[in-house]
Amino acid sequence: MTAESAPTVGGAATSSTWLPGWFEAWFPVILLAVVGGSLPLWGDSFFGIIATRVCVYWVLVSGLNLVVGFAGQLAIGWVSLLTIGAYVASALAAGRVTPEIPAYVALVIAAMFGAVFGFIAGLPALRLRTFYFAMTTLGLSTIVTQIALAWRSVTGGGVGIPGPSMPAPFDTPWGFYYFTLILALICTWMTCNIAASRFGRSLVAVRDAEVAAEAVGIYKPGLLMTVFLFSGALAGLAGGLFATLQSYITPDAFTFDLSVLFFIAILIGGRGSILGPLLGTAVLTVLPEFAAPLVQWSTFLYAFLLLVIVLLVPGGIADLLDFRNRKPLDQHREIRPRPELLTKVLEDRKRQSVLELKGIVLAFGGVRAVDGVDLQLTTGEVHGLIGPNGSGKTTMLNVISGYYAPQQGSVKQDGTDFTREGSYTRARHKIARTFQTPRIIGESSVIDNVMIGGTLDGHASFVEAMLLLPRQRRDEKHLREKAMAALTLVGLERIAGVRADRLQHSELRFVEIARALMVEPSFLLLDEPAAGLSVDEIERLGELIKAISRRGTGVLLVEHHADLIFDICDRVTVLNLGKVLASGSPDYIRSHREVINAYLGA
Amino acid sequence: MKFDCRKVTRRGLLKGSAATAAASLAPGVYMPAIANTDPIQIGYLPAFTGPSSSTGIGIGRGTELAVQEINAAGGIKGRKLEMVMRDTQSDPTKAVNAAAELTRRHKVTIMWGPLNSGETAAAIQNIARDGVPHIHPCWVDSLIDVKKYPMAFRNGPSNQQVGAAANHYVVNVSKAKKVAIVSDTTGYGTASLDAYTPALKKIGGDVVYSASVDANNPDLKPELLRMRSAGAEAIMPWSVNAGFLARIINTRAELNWDVPIVGQTTLGSGQTKALLAKPEHWEKVYPNNFRNLSYNAQGQLPPQSAEFVERLRKAKVDFADTLLWWVALGYDGPRLIAEALREAGTAPADITAYWNTKVKGWKGVYGTIVWSPDNHDGFQQEEIIMVQANSLKDGAFKLAPGYA
Amino acid sequence: MLVESIISNGLAVGAVYALIGIAYNVMFSASRVFSFTAGSVGMLGGVFGAILISRMGMPVVVGFLLTLLLGAILGIITEIVAVRPVLKSLDQHLYVLSTLAIALMIQQLTAIYFSTDAVPFPRVIPIEPGIFDQKFWLPILACILTVLGLEYLSRHTLIGRAFLAIAEDNYAARALGLPEAGLRMASYALAGMISVLAGFAAGQLLFASLANGPLLNFYGFVPVALGGMGSNRGAVIGGLALGLFQQTANYFFGGIFSSVAVFIVFIVVLLVRPEGLAGAATARRV
Repeated sequence: MTAESAPTVGGAATSSTWLPGWFEAWFPVILLAVVGGSLPLWGDSFFGIIATRVCVYWVLVSGLNLVVGFAGQLAIGWVSLLTIGAYVASALAAGRVTPEIPAYVALVIAAMFGAVFGFIAGLPALRLRTFYFAMTTLGLSTIVTQIALAWRSVTGGGVGIPGPSMPAPFDTPWGFYYFTLILALICTWMTCNIAASRFGRSLVAVRDAEVAAEAVGIYKPGLLMTVFLFSGALAGLAGGLFATLQSYITPDAFTFDLSVLFFIAILIGGRGSILGPLLGTAVLTVLPEFAAPLVQWSTFLYAFLLLVIVLLVPGGIADLLDFRNRKPLDQHREIRPRPELLTKVLEDRKRQSVLELKGIVLAFGGVRAVDGVDLQLTTGEVHGLIGPNGSGKTTMLNVISGYYAPQQGSVKQDGTDFTREGSYTRARHKIARTFQTPRIIGESSVIDNVMIGGTLDGHASFVEAMLLLPRQRRDEKHLREKAMAALTLVGLERIAGVRADRLQHSELRFVEIARALMVEPSFLLLDEPAAGLSVDEIERLGELIKAISRRGTGVLLVEHHADLIFDICDRVTVLNLGKVLASGSPDYIRSHREVINAYLGA
Repeated sequence: MKFDCRKVTRRGLLKGSAATAAASLAPGVYMPAIANTDPIQIGYLPAFTGPSSSTGIGIGRGTELAVQEINAAGGIKGRKLEMVMRDTQSDPTKAVNAAAELTRRHKVTIMWGPLNSGETAAAIQNIARDGVPHIHPCWVDSLIDVKKYPMAFRNGPSNQQVGAAANHYVVNVSKAKKVAIVSDTTGYGTASLDAYTPALKKIGGDVVYSASVDANNPDLKPELLRMRSAGAEAIMPWSVNAGFLARIINTRAELNWDVPIVGQTTLGSGQTKALLAKPEHWEKVYPNNFRNLSYNAQGQLPPQSAEFVERLRKAKVDFADTLLWWVALGYDGPRLIAEALREAGTAPADITAYWNTKVKGWKGVYGTIVWSPDNHDGFQQEEIIMVQANSLKDGAFKLAPGYA
Repeated sequence: MLVESIISNGLAVGAVYALIGIAYNVMFSASRVFSFTAGSVGMLGGVFGAILISRMGMPVVVGFLLTLLLGAILGIITEIVAVRPVLKSLDQHLYVLSTLAIALMIQQLTAIYFSTDAVPFPRVIPIEPGIFDQKFWLPILACILTVLGLEYLSRHTLIGRAFLAIAEDNYAARALGLPEAGLRMASYALAGMISVLAGFAAGQLLFASLANGPLLNFYGFVPVALGGMGSNRGAVIGGLALGLFQQTANYFFGGIFSSVAVFIVFIVVLLVRPEGLAGAATARRV
């Protein structure tokens, strides 16, 4: 987690060390530069070869890390992209399809091919999950090897072809080492930047809290495909470098063991970390060279390590190095929201807006969970939605936020119909929500969780984020300040830098509210926000909700705490068995006979 | 694995050099310059594990024996030969690392191996760049190139020579007019197919079928049916995959077809034999082999080889479960190396100069080597012959019918 | 002769894929997860047969029974080591990694202690080889017996019905007081036995070879993915179709074409219908 949560513009709240923020953010780059750059002073030229190999593998792994470690896609056959890059670079440099092409250009073209095939290899991830996707990448790696064997005019078949040779000054072993080291440094720097940008946070969100990611407007296919393109390009480049390092390539060189090494290096390093996988790659590449008698056991050891990591240390090396989150937290934490700070988070909304649901029908199998419900929300009002369990409250919320498309009926905001648009579009319509069970990224810091909510605020493109261009810096600064303000508002600013999975349940509810406020919603849907809160906390929550609505946001409150509902709601709708039982002012509802019978009790 | 890896460990090496360093620093000890007793380090890259390991193990036994004999006889002017060994595990990537370790860190004087073409292809350029004299036995033609790799020498036949011997046998001895050539899809297989098809046509063979087939395909009946319907009178398989070769032999028997099978030396390996449905299927199968290591009609080896076999027996080197020519080839490598060291010293340029100019008809157990500055392919065409697979005894075969 | 050869080979290889597919299914039904070990354990079926019968000279029947036993033990080990500990956090999909680790360890141990080359498999039934040889009909027979056996188990025995209940609804089954953990272990043992049975029956066809592990892993999964997870009928039809297609394509276009074609069909079908051709739609997410 070091890199990801590090760039600290927010100051003392997130960084508890004396080190400057940039140092922590780029620690992997600095470490690689210092250790790698000084290698010729303390290592011999054999060490140089191994270190070159580490750099080449790291170029691939750094990209794959975004796919596996950040986005959580189990791409176990990434050696296929290394193979493609290696053959493209070699065939072009050797002039097997075109006139001979200079090595640098061949490397660039290899990266381009890698990007295209990364995209293709990633396509199944849009629809397939976990095991299926793992299998498709595995299948791809066998296919690529078979094609390399068969397409003899280009690949030389099993006989192989010589790899590209670099021109001076990179034609000596040390020269080539520096070349790969520089590329490895650039890749580390770029992936650190991506990790610390909204793209990196969104990837982790897609991995650990996909539903919440959609709710804040993250479009998973677009995001994943961008990352697959990037990761493919780095793998293709690594392939070209690999071919140069090997000096001669045959399909035998691209063993599945290599794929396993890449994949396991990331998991041993720790998901969502950059330093960890860097160390993992170095250790797995170097270790067999220094344990010669163990060499034939290397894959067995990798597999064993994988099992140990999965079963005992799911966080990997990164978790072991995460000293900050070892410090005990204050046990008696009290959440004190400060509604008066709302001005810093929400613009005062002048224009009135109406969200209108008409005749919503949604059946699961034969059961009509919602059966012809009408609901109208207005900005500036708190609208309570109550009813017994199974009456269709949460289903209504899910229809509004686009997780379910109703079989009948419409969802319109000021006349714009978005009934059937995907859930990721709702944040664009300024509709935000929280969840009954908080959907939080446990491995990310609290502030990162909140910053996720501002994903749509970002203007910098992926490339700008990767290269840390001015617009990206502005984006980050703005987002972090806004997230800090939102956290201060809900009273959690003191634990902004803490891993979210260390928080109490009640705190998570407020983190979710802060995240939803980042959307600057016209309509905020709260699904049982008071569940699990103490009486005092519920009271403060009520004040906060009320204050939010007074800034011009319409709040839909699904709740079981009748007191809270009747205290703060401007209107209340009661659902029973999927139908509206009654709707009106709190006083009207409180005296409604059927409501009392069905739900409120005596 | 007969060759004991533990004999050559880094710790051993370190101890050795530390001891000599201490000795040379010890005050008052007279150290004449000529009495350098440091061992001479030879880089050695067999594949003892992985898919190509059966060759490596066979060659390794010969190499081990040769080094023992050389050292027992006093080494090279009092200096012992020390093999610095790394198992390449049949993996080109590991071969590159291992070659770099031997040439750069250990600064070995000469390289012996890698012993498989795939690994040599990956390592040879780095070895050449590091300027280390290099002998390997790998057949792939392009692995000897006096311009690209001026210090690399081959102590075995090239693929061209091997194919020429088989082609010659099919066309001129067994008088088959129409020939089917089949290979697996590996580098060795496809390269052989590409090289031998035109060569066969050149000497008057009619190639009626020629294809690379996936070696994992469980059923080769369709392929053999196609060969038969094309009228093939001989099958020439090129593969080192025993399973693939055994399937071809078994399928020929299933089809009750009795054309000769002439080709790769693995056709005669014990592994292929083990995979045959019936032992009698091995009739009319003629693998490549080498004249020096084949029995004549009376079942006798040439005298030099008979003596070699005696020596193997005495040293308790097992060779019945491998091929004799592998052991012999492994035995010749260190001896060629030792001769150059003895005659020319340890300077790389002197060693290659010696090999370029002084190896003219060097009599090895495996074959006779003739090198020249513009030809580092040392093997003699007439020493490559075909044998009868089913005559396998103690790793060697009888000459195929038609040889004097 | 040619058609005959394509059909006999295609059905035999297809039956092996189908058996591996069934093993995937049996594990999936009991635990809701797939295991990467199906193919590697299948490969071990051939390896155990070769070791026990050819090398150690056991009678065929003894060797076969021991192979089944070892398969069951491997299944149980997989369940205890790689599945049970990670089931509680199913949403993290750790099972993919833990079972991959076990599969890799099996492959590597086989490479080190057995052989990296193909090793001959003994003849199971001492009769003369014929045109439609035992190497073809043994896998087909094994597949038929397995399907019939599973059918009998689920229709006529209590334990089989308990399996079904668990496959239907894990939580409900536990609520009913079914020994869910015990049944899961039993089904992993069963899956292990089906896998080694596949490798054993196909021993004469595919030899005892390390390379069979990844091969069976992928081609055994294809029918499961296409036929819908948990559907044995889908696995058998898919497996046989795959085998026939491969052999036909092998003959007419060559092996590489058939691998590429199978792969493309696999991807396209999954992209269009991720739940498989016969599977049900996915459950709700929020």
